[in-house]
Amino acid sequence: MEYYDQVIIGGGLSGLAAGIRLARFGSKVLILEKHAIPGGLNSYYHRQGRLLETGLHAMTNYAAPGVKHAPLNRLLRQLSISRKQFQFCQQLRSTILFSGNRSLTFSNDPAQLAGEVARLFPDSAERFLDLVELVRNHDPFQPRPWSSARARLAELLGDPLLINMLLWPVMIYGNSNEHDMDFDQFVIMFSALYLEGMFRPAGSIKEFLDLLVNHFRELGGELRLRAPVVRFAVDGGRVNRVVLESGEEIGAGQVISTAGYPATLNFMGQADPVEVASHHGRMSFVEIINILPASARAELCYADNTIIFYNFDEPFDYRCPDAAVNLNCGVICFPDNFHDLPERAEMQLRVTHPANYQIWRGYSPEEYRDQKSRWAEQSAAKVAEIVGNYRPKVLYQDVFTPLTVERFTGKAAGAIYGSPLKVRDGRTPLQNLFVAGTDQGYLGIVGAMLSGVTMVNQHIFSEK
Amino acid sequence: MNRQEIRDVILEIIQDIDEDSSLENLKDDQPLRDQLDLDSMDFLDIVMELRKRYKLQIPEVDYPELASLASCVNYLEPRLQEV
Repeated sequence: MEYYDQVIIGGGLSGLAAGIRLARFGSKVLILEKHAIPGGLNSYYHRQGRLLETGLHAMTNYAAPGVKHAPLNRLLRQLSISRKQFQFCQQLRSTILFSGNRSLTFSNDPAQLAGEVARLFPDSAERFLDLVELVRNHDPFQPRPWSSARARLAELLGDPLLINMLLWPVMIYGNSNEHDMDFDQFVIMFSALYLEGMFRPAGSIKEFLDLLVNHFRELGGELRLRAPVVRFAVDGGRVNRVVLESGEEIGAGQVISTAGYPATLNFMGQADPVEVASHHGRMSFVEIINILPASARAELCYADNTIIFYNFDEPFDYRCPDAAVNLNCGVICFPDNFHDLPERAEMQLRVTHPANYQIWRGYSPEEYRDQKSRWAEQSAAKVAEIVGNYRPKVLYQDVFTPLTVERFTGKAAGAIYGSPLKVRDGRTPLQNLFVAGTDQGYLGIVGAMLSGVTMVNQHIFSEK
Repeated sequence: MNRQEIRDVILEIIQDIDEDSSLENLKDDQPLRDQLDLDSMDFLDIVMELRKRYKLQIPEVDYPELASLASCVNYLEPRLQEV
């Protein structure tokens, strides 16, 4: 039987980051990924000769080179990856659009959002600046019980419309709670999104993942693809061996699971189904990827935006919809709209809406196909009201549902942001088993990677 | 290793951790944290690198001993004598 100092379950961004961190200091470490391609929630696939990205619309936490304490630069240092290996492209601008044509535009210059708030909410301008100051000085990583972001924002900002407009992008960037979110999580994402800002690497997510995987392997780490884990062999409160679907057993000194808390409880066996179900998130989404000729840009509105976060529900509520899809709110992303990206012949338009997993799961295979095309059609009609009619120009379209997410990422109930109950310290009932990634609670790509790094630093490297 | 060799090793490790650090004007008796803008995650890297290279275990209570270049050398000298 093969033995490893550490076995990591999941070759997504948190698993790769944890693996690099361990391999860098000489551990014998193995990453087990169930799919043929690494990346987890942020991966890619090929259709008709095109590489299509999943997950990544924009990364948050932009930082200029040399800003040492910024999460992005700190992360790269921890992984011993030179920032010079990347060209990072910043967003153009993004818009938060609510009914009545009320909009706030923001960019990676926080002064722009402050100016917009002052224009649309003159009575709240000062209070908004106070909130920014509070966010800059608040340490969200101190262990604290869950506290309501909505309650704090009601005190700090007052205006319900302003609160909702600021919350919508923050929530859809990673909130697994319905209706409200933890104030510390709000602070993390407010800073990541509005103060640091959005960017993407000039290359595709494939190149980004290839770089991480190559770095991991050069450091001596091993990655096995198509290697799904089914259970742990547990002895004396510890994971002794990790058992693969093939029946193969692998010995492990310590295990880091990025498979999500519900899946991790199932690996442990004898998990109480009620407890497992309590960790199922309810926030899932449909996403429609459209490929258009680049010439279509000239005829579309908002085509100089990177992302449009729209909501026409009154009042706005972040929740699992009663229907299969809620078209009244969504995210429209132009993933080609970042500074310094090369010109391409084609462009993408991606649309994301909240969706109801249970309804999608209830469809027969035929209904499922019909509903997919029906909702894609209705989504396009809705989005056309904002950006103009792009439907006749579509060269290729693909639709993900909550079931697609569940199948390809292993996220229970297709909940991309995982369990509403986060395991902030990464500990589990087993002494040598830790969780990292989505269910540990750092959000976004940079957050997921920092989660992998932090769990290794805290639980594996620290000498007690 | 002698004191000079230990000092060189520490500088080499810091340069590996942060390629942008400029080490020329470093003052041996001043805190590294302030001079190089390092944080606790970077300090952990120094500890881990010493562990990897010399099998040297530095317990968390001793981390303050690594505050400045001079205190690093003082702390490591008896521990790296045989290396």
